[in-house]
Amino acid sequence: MKRIATKIFIALLLFASVPFVQAKGDDFNSVVKMIEDFYRVKHVGIPFLAKAGMKVATTAARIKGGTARRLAEAGSIKLAVFENQEFNGDFSRFRGSLNQALNVSWMPLIQTLSVASKEQTYIFLRNAGDKTDVLVITIDERDATVVQVTLSAKNLALLLKDPEGTGKAITDEATLIDQE
Amino acid sequence: MKSLFKTYIISLLLIITTAFVVKAQDTRIQMSSLDHLAAKASETVDVNVDERLMKLAARLFSDKDEDEREIKKLIEGLKGIYVKSFEFETEGQYLAADLEPIRAQLRGAGWTRLVNVVSKKEGNVEVYLQFAGEMVNGLAVLHTDDKELTVVNIVGPVNLDKLAQLEGQMGIPDLGIESPKAKKKTNEQ
Repeated sequence: MKRIATKIFIALLLFASVPFVQAKGDDFNSVVKMIEDFYRVKHVGIPFLAKAGMKVATTAARIKGGTARRLAEAGSIKLAVFENQEFNGDFSRFRGSLNQALNVSWMPLIQTLSVASKEQTYIFLRNAGDKTDVLVITIDERDATVVQVTLSAKNLALLLKDPEGTGKAITDEATLIDQE
Repeated sequence: MKSLFKTYIISLLLIITTAFVVKAQDTRIQMSSLDHLAAKASETVDVNVDERLMKLAARLFSDKDEDEREIKKLIEGLKGIYVKSFEFETEGQYLAADLEPIRAQLRGAGWTRLVNVVSKKEGNVEVYLQFAGEMVNGLAVLHTDDKELTVVNIVGPVNLDKLAQLEGQMGIPDLGIESPKAKKKTNEQ
């Protein structure tokens, strides 16, 4: 009887943890590819991308206070930039494809679409042990940015308090790091 | 005997699981009927803070840090925050029929509309609470204006004070709700 109860308990535990242990495939690259295919654009090659994570610490030290510095403490970062290209397409269709692609291991936090300014912002979260992976996708009429960062609990708190503002800060900071 | 016991345990677990699922579904308002409005809207905001994220946040946030402590206290016990908001360039872009599936859910068991809730925002603001006995299990806000439509759904123990604290945070728009001591008015009228 104890064995059956133990088995059921283990099965329930496994079932409960499924959303948190999904295979963490390279969704970042998939999203970049999806933008390229959907809008027929190409992202800009970033030779220093591999070192971006290492640069974060020194960049953070140079930024005097503010949200950007706090976010930069996170450490790891992936970035893809699309510059000066046409992003014409059906918002709803792109949004649907994106949500479908990330549905398995990412949680959508906030999605904003503005027809007037032709801007789209998507923020997704994924559990990464004691930290959280955050994927921020911003697309406007001529440019787009895809950023994946790993946030500490403190920065996750900031993101939850102000998803739009912090999402923008993540993108701004990543772009700033890239430009240095 | 063993097989009977196994069947009994599995059935019991299924019943318990189903009960939890039904309870969660009752409190969470299904808003997908509004999705088609995104095509007409000039601005669309969609916020999903689901139970997984709430649990994750509650687990990660520390009591030692002021920022984390503040947000932890606010989301304590909450099981989800969902917002859909649409702004339109012109009037008449959405119909009462678009909101009917939402209203139908709010006419369901346990949901109670609060009267004399005052909002600084233009347009009409309706606040609903879902009660299970004396306990509040969820909250829904409908803000309708000529060119604007917002639905907020907070799942879990919440009241107007907490809503007021959450306004402008976690993707919840500033609803300008002023009266925390609202009278209850049941839907069975």
